[in-house]
Amino acid sequence: MPLQLLADLLFGATAGVYFLASVLFTAFLLGRADAAVRWAPRLVAIGVPLHAAQICLWSLVLHVCPVQGIHFALSVASMLVCLVYVLARLRLRIDVVGAFVAPQALAFLLASRFVGGPIDAEPQFRSALLPFHVVANLLGIALFTLAFAAAVAYLLQERRLKNKDLQGMERLPPIDALDRAEHRFLVAGFPLLTIGILTGTLWAREVEAGGAGEIARAALSYASWALIGGVLLLRAAAGWRGRRAAYGTILGFGLTVLVMLLYLARSVMGGAAPA
Amino acid sequence: MIVVVGLSHRTAPVEVRERLSAGADALPVVLSRLAARPELQEVMFLSTCNRVEVAALVRDDGMKAGLDAIREELARQGGMAEDAELAPYLYDKRGDEAVTHVFRVAASLDSMVLGEPQILGQVKDAYDAAMAAGALKGMLGRCMSRAFAVAKRVRTETAIGAGSVSIASVAVDLARRIFGDLGAHGVLLLGAGDMAEAAARSLSKGARAVRICNRSFDRAAALAGVMQASAARWDELEQELVVADVVVASTASRTPVVTRDMVKRAMKARKGRTLFFVDIAVPRNVEPAVHGIDNVYVYNVDDLEKEVARGLEARHGEAAAAEKIVDDEVKQFLAWTRGLEVQPTVVAMRTKARAVLLTELERTLGGRLKHLTEGDRAALTQMMESAVNKLLHAPTTKLKSRAAEGDDAGELAAAMRYLFDLQELAAEKQKQAERDEASGEGTAEKDEEDERLPH
Repeated sequence: MPLQLLADLLFGATAGVYFLASVLFTAFLLGRADAAVRWAPRLVAIGVPLHAAQICLWSLVLHVCPVQGIHFALSVASMLVCLVYVLARLRLRIDVVGAFVAPQALAFLLASRFVGGPIDAEPQFRSALLPFHVVANLLGIALFTLAFAAAVAYLLQERRLKNKDLQGMERLPPIDALDRAEHRFLVAGFPLLTIGILTGTLWAREVEAGGAGEIARAALSYASWALIGGVLLLRAAAGWRGRRAAYGTILGFGLTVLVMLLYLARSVMGGAAPA
Repeated sequence: MIVVVGLSHRTAPVEVRERLSAGADALPVVLSRLAARPELQEVMFLSTCNRVEVAALVRDDGMKAGLDAIREELARQGGMAEDAELAPYLYDKRGDEAVTHVFRVAASLDSMVLGEPQILGQVKDAYDAAMAAGALKGMLGRCMSRAFAVAKRVRTETAIGAGSVSIASVAVDLARRIFGDLGAHGVLLLGAGDMAEAAARSLSKGARAVRICNRSFDRAAALAGVMQASAARWDELEQELVVADVVVASTASRTPVVTRDMVKRAMKARKGRTLFFVDIAVPRNVEPAVHGIDNVYVYNVDDLEKEVARGLEARHGEAAAAEKIVDDEVKQFLAWTRGLEVQPTVVAMRTKARAVLLTELERTLGGRLKHLTEGDRAALTQMMESAVNKLLHAPTTKLKSRAAEGDDAGELAAAMRYLFDLQELAAEKQKQAERDEASGEGTAEKDEEDERLPH
């Protein structure tokens, strides 16, 4: 079987599995199928190896490194989000966070194929630091994505508890579990973000990249690092838990998304850049 | 016919119910008395806080005697005069109504708290006791095991058991929604009254530790001894708030004993860890403003009762769907029992047809066809068997379906017995079936029939 056909089949299977998981999670949240929350995470778990195989094969077909170019990298990041989710749900009671994870994985998988295209980094941007920078950033983003999902779920639960409107609360995990999960994802992601920023700074100096776009990206990256670092520090030192930590996490994740959007914008406009 | 005689929370006050109830020790004695009554073919005795009932199988022509026997035994159990004292509280259900009642009780549709799960376990215990006493042999036993399946269907196909319907269960439910597993969390009891004790008993199941803080330390220590908890002094309340995660407040104080400032200081020392107050005292023990502090949640009696009402409302909303399941299951069960009534005629008809044809076959094989080989003889026998089955298939299924539909299949069965001269054979099969039922064994035909029955 030609590689391309196999890659296409894997793409279809992965998209199908993520789509079905998204439908099941939605049905569960709408109260239509209580058993769905048992099956949907398993579908995400099935999707991860399919997604990984699809990325490997597709990169062979295109002769492009999977972490090169923003489109492919987003697909890799979404696969990593699913992988971390599948592993984390074994310890933390966060199954329903998959309601965010599955649709985003589907969206990025589809975007990697249909929006723009993977382009290899231009020769002047190539560096030995690049793989470390990209891998650390992708893993960091995967963990922050999950922290963001846990923070949003926390705020929903917290609002219901404060308003004493408990209807539907049982569909989301206990708020303490969400707060704990959010914190652990941040703790795991922060060192990776730090490595990503350090290697990015060194890489920028090495290739003498200093345009306005690079400066804006760097500034946003530093801001997200400072914000997430601040959230962690305040939690340890001043007991900033729960709602405040959730807002900080959402804001920090928002800044990292902005950085990704800047990469994406540059890529769509034609410039090749590492993720 | 199956009958049920008894009383419940709907018909009798607790003073009457408690006189008739039988604990685990007394149950075998009551059962043996009931089983010894010749009027009752099978019997089961159910005794819970809210009902005392006897379910029995009686002969159709001995129903009155059966009902009287049960009433006598119940009166004897309660030490009451049957007519004057007990009769006003008793109900009796017969036939279809009795089967419906048994299914509804097992499915918790007749419980004081609709959908409560304990009743099914209690019915199962009663069933086990009756089985152990040899008081359940056939149809009533099958009815009870079908009732368990009905209860399971009701529980899985409806939300009759969903939602919390007591203050204590709502408090536990809320604590779980906040903390998940309570195993790593401590419970603090403020006050040592009965209300607090009841709520704390539910909350402390699986909690890491339970502390009791009361103005009277001696009272706190006494309750702590009963609840496997530890006592704390009243002037240590603020320090206790730093350690506990769930606080149940129920003191008789006229003013709040937990203030906003006190909790703010405690939260600082707790480094923001979540704190949950269950304030079941009236007047309230916890200042309402405490609920406004980050990561602190205060639920008072009104809040909890609102949840109880919502849980009950949700359960009542599911009752119609549950009743429909019970109706369907009762119809299936009754169809099966009616099928049993025509079974002796069906068996007699098949036996006679097979016997006649085999006799004729043997005669022919010994005469004109004696030259046939063993293989040919076997083929001919097989053909005869097949012909009997095909010939009798239509009358058999029609008779059974007429019986299952609830039409009067008795006349049709009588006509068959008359036309095929089956009276003696059918009576013999009926006796055989009764003997098998009494000994708990089954004939091949019965077993074959059972495979299609609701188990």
